[in-house]
Amino acid sequence: MSGYIVRRLGQSVVVVIGVMLLTFLLLHMEPGNVARAILGNGVRVSQLRLDMFDSLYGLNKPLWVQFGLYIQQLLHGNLGVSYQSLQPVSTIIAQRLPRDAVLVGLSTVLALVIGVPTGIYQALRHNRPMDDVLAGTWFTLYAAPDFMEALLLIALLCVQFHVFPPAFPGGVTSIGGLFANWQALVLPVAVLSINSVAGFSQYARSTAIQTLAEDYIRVARAKGLPERLVVTRHVLRNSLLPVVTILGLSLPDIVAGALIAEAIFNFPGMGLLFWQSALAHDYPVMLGGTLIIGIATVVGNFAADIAYSVLDPRIRYGSA
Amino acid sequence: MPSTRRLAIAGAALVLGAALAACGGTTAHVGGGSAAKGKPIKGGTVTVAQLSGASPNDIFPLQPATNANGYNYDFVIGAWPNLVVVGDGTKSVVNTKESLYSSMTWSQNDSVVTIGLKPWNWSDGQPITARDFTFVYNLLKANYNDWLEYFPGLFPADVTKVTTVNTHTIQMTLNHSYNPDFYVDDVLCYLPLLPQHVMDRTSLTGKVGNYDETTAGSKAVWSFLQKQGQQESTFTTSPLWKVVDGPWRISTFQTDGYYSWTPNSAYSGPDKPLLSKVNFTPFTTDAAEMDTLRSGSSLTIGYLPLNDLKQIPALQSEGYAAANVPTPGVAEIVPNLYNPVNGPILRQLYIRQAFEYLIDRPLIVSKVYAGYADPGNGAVPVNYGQEWDSPLEKAGGPYPYTPSKAIALLKAHGWKVVPGGVDTCQSAGTGPSNCGAGISAGEKLNFQLIYSSGSDTFDEQNADIQSTEAQAGIKMTLKPEPFNTINATTGYCNAKSHPASTCAWQLQDYGYNPYSLDPNGSGLWNTDASGNYGGYASPKMDSLINATEYGSSPTAFFAYEDYAAQQLPVLWIPDESGIYIYKKSLAGAFPTSPFDATLNPEVWYFTKSAK
Repeated sequence: MSGYIVRRLGQSVVVVIGVMLLTFLLLHMEPGNVARAILGNGVRVSQLRLDMFDSLYGLNKPLWVQFGLYIQQLLHGNLGVSYQSLQPVSTIIAQRLPRDAVLVGLSTVLALVIGVPTGIYQALRHNRPMDDVLAGTWFTLYAAPDFMEALLLIALLCVQFHVFPPAFPGGVTSIGGLFANWQALVLPVAVLSINSVAGFSQYARSTAIQTLAEDYIRVARAKGLPERLVVTRHVLRNSLLPVVTILGLSLPDIVAGALIAEAIFNFPGMGLLFWQSALAHDYPVMLGGTLIIGIATVVGNFAADIAYSVLDPRIRYGSA
Repeated sequence: MPSTRRLAIAGAALVLGAALAACGGTTAHVGGGSAAKGKPIKGGTVTVAQLSGASPNDIFPLQPATNANGYNYDFVIGAWPNLVVVGDGTKSVVNTKESLYSSMTWSQNDSVVTIGLKPWNWSDGQPITARDFTFVYNLLKANYNDWLEYFPGLFPADVTKVTTVNTHTIQMTLNHSYNPDFYVDDVLCYLPLLPQHVMDRTSLTGKVGNYDETTAGSKAVWSFLQKQGQQESTFTTSPLWKVVDGPWRISTFQTDGYYSWTPNSAYSGPDKPLLSKVNFTPFTTDAAEMDTLRSGSSLTIGYLPLNDLKQIPALQSEGYAAANVPTPGVAEIVPNLYNPVNGPILRQLYIRQAFEYLIDRPLIVSKVYAGYADPGNGAVPVNYGQEWDSPLEKAGGPYPYTPSKAIALLKAHGWKVVPGGVDTCQSAGTGPSNCGAGISAGEKLNFQLIYSSGSDTFDEQNADIQSTEAQAGIKMTLKPEPFNTINATTGYCNAKSHPASTCAWQLQDYGYNPYSLDPNGSGLWNTDASGNYGGYASPKMDSLINATEYGSSPTAFFAYEDYAAQQLPVLWIPDESGIYIYKKSLAGAFPTSPFDATLNPEVWYFTKSAK
């Protein structure tokens, strides 16, 4: 196992470096002048000013020198400075990431709490009307675009009945502030949960159906184990395996944010940050964000693999 | 200058459609805003919605050249107003009541200006003096290339000497004569005064000195203040930013762009704030802002994308009123006169005239912008301020929509006109009945128009132009792209330099050019000016612009204006207005300054009827 972990860590480093290099090259292959994109087309934007911008951010150096300098500053824990906001990229990410962790984390937990039990319930009522009704409901919600769900909920619950605020209030930047304004979190969390519930429930359902057909379940029932314990001790644990994979893969989602929900519910997070940075040619933010997402992807996969072996003792790494 | 912010006004629609767009309703006519009825009351908090993406990042009023964030202007202008405050009610004039100067006297053939300062005080009780002016001057003189508002050749590069006449009077000697109106309206209006007794330092712990009096010292102070100005965490705590001379001080700032102003109780000016606080709260999209307005929110002032005009009755039922705020600038389609393929075609004045005759501007104003747009008759918007409009512009400009004239022009110059198709040059040559220099027989009138994507009104406007140009066989292919992409990929092209890599664009519509108070086109249409992207060049235009800047003839401005309108350095198109929504109980907020639509909450108040 330890050899496997070391090998996976080595692979992860290579993957992250590859992602960085690729992102750096792709960004710099984008056509156009960065200084012009940031400074605009005003009457005062002279060539001298564009040159000053390039010089300030090292954009006048050869590409390989720029990459080398970028790696050098990374090794010193410096992700660079945003061309747009003038703030260190690490500061910007540190401001936004916890917000998204709350938003996406809460929605994932909510989806799990609803999705997994529902999936197992459906498996226990496999091919009965309730299974079909629930599956149909989740697939319908899964197929609906999240922006449409968001707009409908806003129209109904905010504009029509004034139950929840439609947008997160400005000026709330602390985690405590997010929870103090919990009413504004309800709709974005709900919207983000809807799609995830369908995924979690259907994965749990299909695995539970397979598990329920296993011999050890029949043995457990034959030994007189109460159905409640059969479900909680044997079916639930095995049904979590695919869910763990999804959870691991969703770690980068937390880091990458939820663009649509952030935009609609006035919740500036990582998704909006990347989107606005991409539009503005803000390379340091794009690079820093991609790096963090790359690391989150690697860590998420890695954590899923480890969790697999914990949940299923039959799975052992490194022995082959 | 607030150019980015102004661009953002027009770009407010460049986001997701509002959630409630389909809810219906009847469009109401929107005026410029009117005073609320009722007795003024002291106190109250106003919350103003900020446009999507609005987030200041620098508190030092003299922004560096490499930071073009126009929202910083709005952020600090209440605390450190400019020497010359422009816009008075609906008039495009200098607001002498709110300006920091008491007198402005020109002498020696208008090359020397003597400025008297009002006997006002900083918020710490110290008097505002000539030393504060020379502090700003010294800083800028040593660092003007790194100052965002620096325009090549103008202040402070054109100042040969600054003399302190007395505590409240400065005399500036300029390197040549100016039109005083131009210099006040377009140069001194960008200049704030800063407290030398607080800011003349090179570290937070060091003592205040007279460092600015040497070039090296000025550079050190500049560098220090620039760095401190970008420290968001100390915007409201640093002693550097505590001393103000405007009616407001910045009391709150959050990293999402939210900030608050509270009154400067020691403000010396005439309009003491009645409100106790003004909050500026950012929104990620127009849709989020619209939903908030519709949900019975605490927003006092918001904005309304033109796509959502039908929401006005619903908003009125929520206690809001609407105000139409003309955008202070000129909208245009820029032709690239040095495009490698059809630059020679676009260099022909008759071609640009045919283009303009085929733009149905009144139709675009009424159908696309529901009447809320400047018609775009020429180089000066007629909704901006009647003071600047020549009779020709007021009459609709030199090229009213007349397809028959466009067709006649093209035919007269040897083009085979195919309405609905593509015209072809049949008579190459440089004679009066030929297509023109550089145009070969068989060449076609086939162009690509790049424009800012994400706005329904821009889409509709340019589709309309495409359709009407086709009536005379001018084919236009539309290519919407993000605003920043257009900035990044459409290079500056002229006779001297037009590399194929950055001059492949043919026509571009990126929004509008913001104007200073004196809208004389300097920097836009003069030869090789930094805002002259299409490469238009004309010695006569240069001399006419120079006459507005340096001359004193009262007819110079209209002469320039009419020539620019006729010459079509760009194609004139309508410029959409901004629609603001405000609580009916709030008085004094509208109309805004016609110069830059700046909000001035020191004259706002709630009325008793609100309670």
